[in-house]
Amino acid sequence: MKKYIKLLNFEFNRIAKLFVVLLGITFVTQIIGVIVVSKNYLNMANEQIYDERINKVQFLETYGQMSFLQVVRSLWFVGPIALCLAGVALYIFLIWYRDWVGKNTFIYRLLMLPTTRLNIFYAKITTIMIMTIGLVSFQLIFLPIEILVMNSMVPNEFRADLSVVEIVTSILELSIIIPGSVVELILFYGAGLLVVSILFTGILMERSFRWKGIFAGLIYSALAVVILISPLLLQEFVLNGYFYPSELLVLEIVMGLIVLGATIWMSGFLLRKKITV
Amino acid sequence: MKKYWKFAATIVVIVLSIGTYQVNSAKSAKQYPEFVIKTLSGDANEIKPLVLEGAYTDTTAMNYVNTNLKIASDGSTFTNRSFLNQVIGQPPTMIKELQEEYRTFMRGKTSQVSSFFEDNQILAYADIDFNMGSLRLRDFKFDISVLSKVDGHTESFTVEVPDSGELEDVYVEDIQMIEGELNLITQNIRENNDDFFDEKHIYTIDMANQKIINHEAIIKVPHGQDDKSFDVQLIRTSPKKANEHLIIVKTERKVIKDAESIREEVINQEILSYNLATKKKERITVPDLRLDENQLSFFDGSTIYFMTLDGVGQKLVVTPYSLADNQIESAFNLQLFGEKDIVYGQMTTVKDGKLYVASSQMTPKIKADVIVADARSGETLFKGQLALEGSPKEKANFELYINEMYVN
Repeated sequence: MKKYIKLLNFEFNRIAKLFVVLLGITFVTQIIGVIVVSKNYLNMANEQIYDERINKVQFLETYGQMSFLQVVRSLWFVGPIALCLAGVALYIFLIWYRDWVGKNTFIYRLLMLPTTRLNIFYAKITTIMIMTIGLVSFQLIFLPIEILVMNSMVPNEFRADLSVVEIVTSILELSIIIPGSVVELILFYGAGLLVVSILFTGILMERSFRWKGIFAGLIYSALAVVILISPLLLQEFVLNGYFYPSELLVLEIVMGLIVLGATIWMSGFLLRKKITV
Repeated sequence: MKKYWKFAATIVVIVLSIGTYQVNSAKSAKQYPEFVIKTLSGDANEIKPLVLEGAYTDTTAMNYVNTNLKIASDGSTFTNRSFLNQVIGQPPTMIKELQEEYRTFMRGKTSQVSSFFEDNQILAYADIDFNMGSLRLRDFKFDISVLSKVDGHTESFTVEVPDSGELEDVYVEDIQMIEGELNLITQNIRENNDDFFDEKHIYTIDMANQKIINHEAIIKVPHGQDDKSFDVQLIRTSPKKANEHLIIVKTERKVIKDAESIREEVINQEILSYNLATKKKERITVPDLRLDENQLSFFDGSTIYFMTLDGVGQKLVVTPYSLADNQIESAFNLQLFGEKDIVYGQMTTVKDGKLYVASSQMTPKIKADVIVADARSGETLFKGQLALEGSPKEKANFELYINEMYVN
């Protein structure tokens, strides 16, 4: 356990810079977005009210109040989130391959550590999960700050105030990234963990068998997906809807755990017996 | 310990931030208004068995998320929009109750109320099964299951639909079990030398040897012509009761094409009663009756309640017709709010000689009726309206749609 924590802390410190950079870009871009979108709205309001001589009530009737959802739907807000997503996706591969690069291949030292080699796998996958959830958590802290900035720019009668929860639940994509209940949180991020572990196994296969390993990894991933969705396929094509939806959910969770177990076992096997430096 | 600070700080931020969000999310979920059925006149006991189901949307924040709710005489209950509830879905109440009571039997069955028949002794189910052929559906089969409530025995079998090759589509509209014979009433689309016909077809299945012993088209109309359109409807009945008769309304409309618009005008309407036991058709004549497309009419096994809304929707005109005596009883009107902007109209049902009426739409500007009346005499036993409990919030804007009404 202690070895694992040490490894985890070590891996985390290695991504800390990337993590901070991503957070910085997100915060700055989103704040600019808030200012730009609010300014646009205010300029439009000014134009309509002073130049076109429409009164305030009429303006609000035709154009509506400004809400934070307008900011959320703009590229200023979504763009940095997409960037973070791409960053995490890239780092899933980088977290392994960076250890093989360079003269003194670092993986050599990692593998020589006096601890079970699976701890390397655990530390790396935990790092990816913490990075993902960490980005989401900071987004949740940025949101109230951004709302505050908007509120200081747009006068009271021109804006519809929404709470963070209301904003997140209004946007489907956000409500998937930030689920509103603990059950969903565990299910969604559990599914994410499963995907990352399958990818890790694929990477380890490539590291063990090189070119042949890439094919093995692809076949392994396809197999994992088929096993994972086998209850759904059976339900649709063989059993004609025999299971109730709640039973199907339980079956899927069981399948997910089985696939996760198999994936971890396979990774452990590769790390112990087949990995080449 | 010092080298762990970045990691520890991130974990603390994650726990605090996600935790706070979860708490706030759980708190905000409970802020739903309370809907009640407010008594305007009459006896409030009359609405005790009535349950209205629908969806509520708070439109104040331009946030169009529906939440399902149930409104009964003792107030409203909202269905938590949790992930698990969304996975389970919202089947109609009758299906939900059947799933709870007959969990094994209900496996793999559709959620269509019209595919089920229930009485004290049996629960019957029929649906259509087919193969996807090239460009058309093929090999229609009836998928039939009958559960005996007495000994818990289930009988399941499939029967091929006769003349399957000529059929374009088959849809099960009603099931009736009469004297050991299962009657399936279907809407078929039939092709005959490139001409298409809509027909109401009846298949009689002998339960003893699981074979179709008789089948015939009760009524057949050409499908979509240029200048005429036909419409054949079954009058609604309760799926929890055997009915020996089917009541069918056939409407013929003339299509009038102007330069600007296409209008339809009813030129002929026929009402037929079909006896499932004797297989005899009879015409029912009700002078001055024009049923509209609202499908408000209801048949409770002995009396047909023809119902239409008057032009502006302020009155529900009810004409009871006794099938046993072949006689029209005196028609009566029920006064409605007749709101101008209402789009989704009214819902009606009859149970134990009482007629229940409810509007299917309510907003702060649109009032919704709830009425219970004696179905024969038209005497209003209860008149009320849907209302928000307490003083509504100042800017609150909402939409409420009722999509199901049932009487326990």
